[in-house]
Amino acid sequence: MAKTITFNFEGTEYTLEFTRASVATLEKQGFNINDIADKPLTTLPALFAGAFIAHHRFVKREVIDRIFEKITNKKDLVMKLAEMYNETIESLVDEPEESEGKLEWVASW
Amino acid sequence: MGSELVGDSLPHRGGGSMDSTALSYTEVFYNHLPYYLAIGMPNDLFWNGDCRLTESYRKAYEIKRKQLNQELWLQGMYFYEALCDASPLLQPFAKKPKPLPYPSEPYAITIKKEEIEEKQRRQEQLKYEKAKAKMASWAVKTNAQLAVRAGKEVNDGQHH
Repeated sequence: MAKTITFNFEGTEYTLEFTRASVATLEKQGFNINDIADKPLTTLPALFAGAFIAHHRFVKREVIDRIFEKITNKKDLVMKLAEMYNETIESLVDEPEESEGKLEWVASW
Repeated sequence: MGSELVGDSLPHRGGGSMDSTALSYTEVFYNHLPYYLAIGMPNDLFWNGDCRLTESYRKAYEIKRKQLNQELWLQGMYFYEALCDASPLLQPFAKKPKPLPYPSEPYAITIKKEEIEEKQRRQEQLKYEKAKAKMASWAVKTNAQLAVRAGKEVNDGQHH
């Protein structure tokens, strides 16, 4: 199962998910995931809105922006959205099996 | 094979930064699409379905390939056995070459207890039928001989 985010807003259940089609639609609109670090103010709402394309294509942008304003823990949300976005590409390839000669890495946080 | 095929065309792995020559996600999707179409994934599912379904399709394809390999190997075994069974005919100096009979049943490729028991039961039944037929023919033959002998004795008695 693909990663999803679910919540209830004003009585409506929302499921956020990225499909390859929704990622392609976002990119067609000029979205670039690499801009997250450089232009977070415009990129993050666009990424959030893009997650609506799969299941809630016809929700108005004003509604999405209102949801985004009200949503808590945005830092984690962005991380999760980025994970979901990347899942569309990561699921196309197998993870290399652990074996000798592979470089392991550790994050400090 | 599948993983290598799809793995090679992915531009970035392991978290490197994207440069100007990097492909967009959409381009990467289009690069991989033919492979997934070839292994039977519908176009609509690739684009609009659960994105992790590609993993299941790859695994399913791997299973299919293993099955095919198993079938080809089995076919090779049958060919080999057929050749071995017929090999006496291929000996140029044999006086009366007699080929071995080809197996009457296919190899058991599933090891199920019931199947093994059923096979044993059938073999025993066959053995029993053979023995019964042999015994019946022997009985007929013996009875006939006894009848002939008895007839002879009767004839001899009348003569005396």
